[in-house]
Amino acid sequence: MLRDITLGQYYPVDSPVHRLDPRTKVILTFLYIIAVFLVGNLWLYLPVAAYLAFATWMARLPAGMMLRSLRPMRVLLVITFVLNLFFFSGAQELVRIGSIVIWREGLLNALIFTFRLIFLVTGSSILTLTTAPVTLTDGLERLASPLRIIRFPAHEMAMMMTIALRFIPTLIEEADKIMKAQTARGADFETGNLMARARAMIPLLVPLFISAFRRAGDLAMAMEARCYRGGEGRTRLHQLKYGRRDALALLSMLALYLMILLPGWLA
Amino acid sequence: MPIVLEQLSHHYRSCPRVSVALEDISLTIHDGELLALIGHTGSGKSTLAQHLNGLLEPTSGRVLVDGEDINQKGARRRALRFRVGLVFQYPEHQLFEETVFKDIAFGPKNMGLTGQQVDQRVREAMARVGLDFEEMKDRSPFELSGGQMRRVALAGVLAMQPRVLVLDEPTAGLDPRARDFLLGDIKRLNQEGTTVVMISHAMDDVARLATRVAVLEKGRLVMQGSTLEVFSQQERLAAMGLDIPDGFKLARRLRQAGLNMADHVHPEEIADALAAAIRGGGGDAA
Repeated sequence: MLRDITLGQYYPVDSPVHRLDPRTKVILTFLYIIAVFLVGNLWLYLPVAAYLAFATWMARLPAGMMLRSLRPMRVLLVITFVLNLFFFSGAQELVRIGSIVIWREGLLNALIFTFRLIFLVTGSSILTLTTAPVTLTDGLERLASPLRIIRFPAHEMAMMMTIALRFIPTLIEEADKIMKAQTARGADFETGNLMARARAMIPLLVPLFISAFRRAGDLAMAMEARCYRGGEGRTRLHQLKYGRRDALALLSMLALYLMILLPGWLA
Repeated sequence: MPIVLEQLSHHYRSCPRVSVALEDISLTIHDGELLALIGHTGSGKSTLAQHLNGLLEPTSGRVLVDGEDINQKGARRRALRFRVGLVFQYPEHQLFEETVFKDIAFGPKNMGLTGQQVDQRVREAMARVGLDFEEMKDRSPFELSGGQMRRVALAGVLAMQPRVLVLDEPTAGLDPRARDFLLGDIKRLNQEGTTVVMISHAMDDVARLATRVAVLEKGRLVMQGSTLEVFSQQERLAAMGLDIPDGFKLARRLRQAGLNMADHVHPEEIADALAAAIRGGGGDAA
């Protein structure tokens, strides 16, 4: 039941994309998102789709998994499409049903916005599918470290994220176990109205909170025992280094930008 | 109310691979027995336990309780859970109520019993695990000692008066005194007619209580038989990384020393056999 959550799930295979520097992947994702927003013409989604397919192939991710990342978005996608289709007026009439008119511009807009969402979600899921959470936070910390000048606690933020991410699977497992234990005592989490269901969560949430606090206490103790005192003067086990691979990846992104922007400049 | 497992398999789907947790298990749990389930960590013992009351559904194969397939459509699985009580590992982590009474009453209340019946059930359950009703009922379960918390959790399952009790590592993490208490409770329950399935790493506990032992390795049922039969095969168990009870080790050492010594399940029997061997002049002892 709870195991189905795929939020930011790392897909552990070895690929050139997996081996990229996490900072590169964060920057690429950022640039990719901007690129997707720059697209204002349906045809221009072709290079984006090609880039996405290329990245998926390079990362050795199964296409089915990429599509699955859209699953939680399906309601939003339908709403986006329908709203744009019906509430956008234009010049060229396509279909008329009674007083409802579907305009050509409306259809184009609906398609553009829907594709935009699809490409945003699938594209950014490559980042989390190919980067282990700890590596990702490591990269974010390094990217944010120049901000220390304005007293931005980059290390502390990264450590908090690392710990939070580290404990998501643990807590899911724990929740699953407690849920089963209470189900074994006849608890019913699946039927009844909203109030009944909310009440049914108490036997799950109380033990879960207690265990989270216990784990937090244990972890703090274990960190102190190993002399953790924040980021000051802390060295790293895995040094991040940009390589040729990262340069190539950035070049590929440059190519995508050219393909998207050139038609506009040439016209 | 026998439980029959027929060619039961369970596969966990976790990307990118499918891992096999249980493969082709056929096992019958007879009325009134105390079956110990042993095996290395990750051998599938806990997964198997969760099939006994329908918390997990087999990928293939059937679980029959009282001759009824518990995973078929329309099976009343909730009612089943009141008949097959499952006590998880570290059950004290599932306590959640403000008072001991309320926590133990959770199961019986879910059964839809009246207030008076619930009260009666809680009293009986607490008595069975040696908790004093008047003294404990209004205390918070979180201010108790580890051993007491575990007994409250056990009482929470016993209050449903299950015919079959499944215990996953019931003595893990308890001090010797609390462990002795708990094992005594389990033995008494079994003698009073409750069928017990006990998962354990502690082979001495198994030797003390079990009437039958089943051994799992890598999701397969590799041995089953009486406690004596299973633990006599020390080489096979050692190959799986499993220990044998102290009594069996002692008998083995005595045999290696040249004494004519058979395997015995209970230490008392070994003591008697040893005394007999010595008194008999220690025939082949020298």
